[in-house]
Amino acid sequence: MLSEIFVEPFADMVAAPDFLMQVLWEGLVSGILYALIALGFVLIYRSSRIFNFAQGIMVVFAALTLVGLHEAGVPAWVSVVLTLGVMFVLAVVVERVVLRPLVGQPDIILFMATIGITLFLIGFGEIIFGGENKVMITQELGIPTDSVVFEPFGGLLILEQKDITAAGIAALLVIGLLLFLNKTRMGRAIRALGDDHQAAMSVGISLQTIWVLVWFIAGIIALVTGIAWGARAGVSFALEVIAYKALPVLMLGGLESISGAIVGGLMIGMLEKLFEIYWGQPLLGGNTETWFAFMLALVVLLFRPQGLFGERIIERV
Amino acid sequence: MFYRTAGQFKTSYSADQALFPVRQDAVLLIVILAFAWIIFPLTASEFTFQTLLIPILIYSLAALGLNILTGYAGQLSLGTGAFMGVGAYACYKMVTLMPWMNPIVAILLSGVFSAGIGVVFGIPSLRIKGFYLAIATLAAQFFLVWLFEKWAWLYNYNASGAIQVPNLDMFGVYVAGPQATSFTQYYVVLAIVSLLTWVCINLTRGRPGRTWKATRDMDIAAELIGIDLMRSKLTAFAVSSYIVGVAGALFVFMWRGAAEPNLFDIPLSFRILFIAIIGGLGSVLGNYLGAILIVGLPVVLGIVPEALGLEITSATVEHLNVMIVGGLIIFFLIIEPHGLAQLWRLIREKLIIWPFPH
Amino acid sequence: MNVHLQEDLSKHTLRADDGIAKGADLLKVENISLSFGGVKAITDISFDIKKGEIRAIIGPNGAGKTSMLNVINGFYFPQQGTITFRGEKRRRARASETARDGIARTFQNIALFKGMSTLDNIMTGRITLQKRSLLWHALWKGPAEREEIEHREAVERIIDFLEIEHIRKTPVGRLPYGLQKRVELGRALAADPALLLLDEPMAGMNLEEKADMSRFILDVNQQYGTTIALIEHDMGVVMDLSDRVVVLDYGKKIGDGTPDEVRNNPDVIDAYLGVPH
Ligand SMILES: Nc1ncnc2c1ncn2[C@@H]1O[C@H](COP(=O)(O)OP(=O)(O)OP(=O)(O)O)[C@@H](O)[C@H]1O
Ligand SMILES: [Mg+2]
Repeated sequence: MLSEIFVEPFADMVAAPDFLMQVLWEGLVSGILYALIALGFVLIYRSSRIFNFAQGIMVVFAALTLVGLHEAGVPAWVSVVLTLGVMFVLAVVVERVVLRPLVGQPDIILFMATIGITLFLIGFGEIIFGGENKVMITQELGIPTDSVVFEPFGGLLILEQKDITAAGIAALLVIGLLLFLNKTRMGRAIRALGDDHQAAMSVGISLQTIWVLVWFIAGIIALVTGIAWGARAGVSFALEVIAYKALPVLMLGGLESISGAIVGGLMIGMLEKLFEIYWGQPLLGGNTETWFAFMLALVVLLFRPQGLFGERIIERV
Repeated sequence: MFYRTAGQFKTSYSADQALFPVRQDAVLLIVILAFAWIIFPLTASEFTFQTLLIPILIYSLAALGLNILTGYAGQLSLGTGAFMGVGAYACYKMVTLMPWMNPIVAILLSGVFSAGIGVVFGIPSLRIKGFYLAIATLAAQFFLVWLFEKWAWLYNYNASGAIQVPNLDMFGVYVAGPQATSFTQYYVVLAIVSLLTWVCINLTRGRPGRTWKATRDMDIAAELIGIDLMRSKLTAFAVSSYIVGVAGALFVFMWRGAAEPNLFDIPLSFRILFIAIIGGLGSVLGNYLGAILIVGLPVVLGIVPEALGLEITSATVEHLNVMIVGGLIIFFLIIEPHGLAQLWRLIREKLIIWPFPH
Repeated sequence: MNVHLQEDLSKHTLRADDGIAKGADLLKVENISLSFGGVKAITDISFDIKKGEIRAIIGPNGAGKTSMLNVINGFYFPQQGTITFRGEKRRRARASETARDGIARTFQNIALFKGMSTLDNIMTGRITLQKRSLLWHALWKGPAEREEIEHREAVERIIDFLEIEHIRKTPVGRLPYGLQKRVELGRALAADPALLLLDEPMAGMNLEEKADMSRFILDVNQQYGTTIALIEHDMGVVMDLSDRVVVLDYGKKIGDGTPDEVRNNPDVIDAYLGVPH
């Protein structure tokens, strides 16, 4: 028993390093997407103290809109642009209708409001696009669907090109966001908001503008995630669950830490895959990915309540 | 006028601490109880029992349990559904392992198991706060539902992976399973829900309630005035999970009749959370108001288009329902973040001074 | 102040009556040092608090006064030094236990329970004195109800004493600042403390409110016999109220004695006039 837990998995890893690499690669692709979604959470949280539960449904909604538009005869790339437009409108509506009237309410109320948004979008989406599974317009967007084969250590490593593309685009988006946050006035205002409202106001950008902007960024992230994940798993409301995966990432990395979201996302993506393949499937009947990340985050926080990257805060009265 | 309180003076603190310092409240309660215990059961159709009366009571109880934890003790939980599942599976195992057991005793005992597991998952609350804790409760949610699926012993190795409520009788009357009537089941549910509501009212108006609220409002200050935060939080987890577990057992044994693991998944947790929040966090009454709204809305939505002669498929109705619930949540949060209970409180205050505005 | 309060005290608590003679050491602070990361908040401070006295702790902003109170009531555990309360050395323990030992306090930035009424807030002060278990409270009738009423009576006397009857059922979040401070004092008093720590009880008050608060503090001290340690910036108030004063500056003790001694202490004068060291 003990050897099944502590010895054999590692022996397997060493015995078939190519397979280990395959597992890690797949974890990494998921991890990049987790990181991306977590980043969307962090931006919204930093700028408005809102724990945005609607991030997951935004992914679904963006993907459905994209596919729906294409099905209605709109060319693929035009659909992308139109979908971005829809996400922008969504950001404006959310700010006007939900955020503005709720300014200053306790955190839990704002959190609940985002659950309200989630439900609203689920109902709305189902009525407009229907509930059945759809296929992401991968080829139409020019994303290659072949696979690349390597032979490390005399083994076999297969990388799907769409995964490579997804990882590449997600990585670009992360880099783009970091540049935006660090190099532009608007970006710095968003970051400042997390630390100090007054300072951000003094930059001369209104809070409302910033909120619309961060929700729009969250919308862009949602679209990219939707395309990337939709290409792997199809487009349906089940996509929403991948946004849940961003939550343990936030626990580990911290709700306000941009680098935490990235490192945490990659870590969780790879660790949960490793656990599933080497422990979950042989010992626990599989499907451990539903909870592993949460348990991992929970255990880490028990020992480091400030998260992996947070500084210890001494409470004062 | 109806709520004229002039002339009602309290002569002792015990009178002031009575549940209903204002006489009209007591009258109102008696009317409600009369409806619940006599008029509804005598007049309700099978449809009303199954779509309104029984689910409203069970959802209210589950929301009440969550409210103890989140509304009173301030610990946000997103795992209510899974704890209902623990209650349901515990009850199932008890009645199948010990068929001689009185079903009501089994239901009341099933809460003990969910309380135990609630305490275990409550331990992180000693170190983790706010949203971090909320995410931590999702660990319980996902892990437990996974366990319900993978641990075949829990569902007695049924090929379907689901639990099926057997016929259970008490003094010759079937109270659960295919043979039981809605009429009997309604009374069982009503009795248990009334009992636990009374217990919750007692707990929340005395020292335990103050301890929890102090923990919620300012944990550091609470600790410095001598409140043992660990105890305060863990008792909240225990009491809350107990009630939620009993609600889960009722949910399956008195209403659904069968359950698959995914019944206890996140949507159920959120449903309970909506009820508690729309009803009003930190209120007992609110859970009932919230449940009436959330359970009643789809029923109304199902009837209205028909009455208007509109042709809408049932799937569309369901989606419309989800959308409207979402909209309503936002609407209520904006007009009254403290929920329906607070709305009632304001109306009541108006009634008390009516017709002399001041 | 009404006489009931005293009767009530002798009836319900034995905590304040601990066999320590008036004027003997109630609390001894010895060689305490405390730092946060690199910031030294307190350096090697020693002083004592005698039973029955009003002891003021003064000093410029950031001198370490609040930190000192936080050490005394167990919120922080000092890196060095010992605290002896009623002859017993403090072990490292949870902060809630110090309150149970009979040390109550108010806070510089009001720390009331915002979602609760005045009455409930003050009732929380008695939580440590309520012993009935959760099960009794679930039943309510019988022991739990009797206990609740008994403590309610004690709290009502405090409410009378602080003259806040009219706001008994008001949520504290809606009260003006001065009244909130008073409610907070009520909550601390409700615990029948042997040692009462007040962190700037009069900050931000107008003259009239200050006069009221001074009167309450003196009454508590004289009629209850409660020992009080008090941080205050208003020198007039300090000189009037306190029996002895300890002066901190940059985390060090620079003076200790009667108000007169301290007033004439050259180091203290320098600290207050801002003479560079
Ligand atoms: N939790 C903490 N973390 C870091 N530094 C702290 C903490 N608490 C206090 N300090 C620092 O310790 C020093 C003493 O602070 P303290 O609050 O005790 O001063 P004080 O005398 O009460 O001042 P004031 O009159 O302004 O209330 C200050 O430099 C303060 O910044
Ligand atoms: Mg201070």
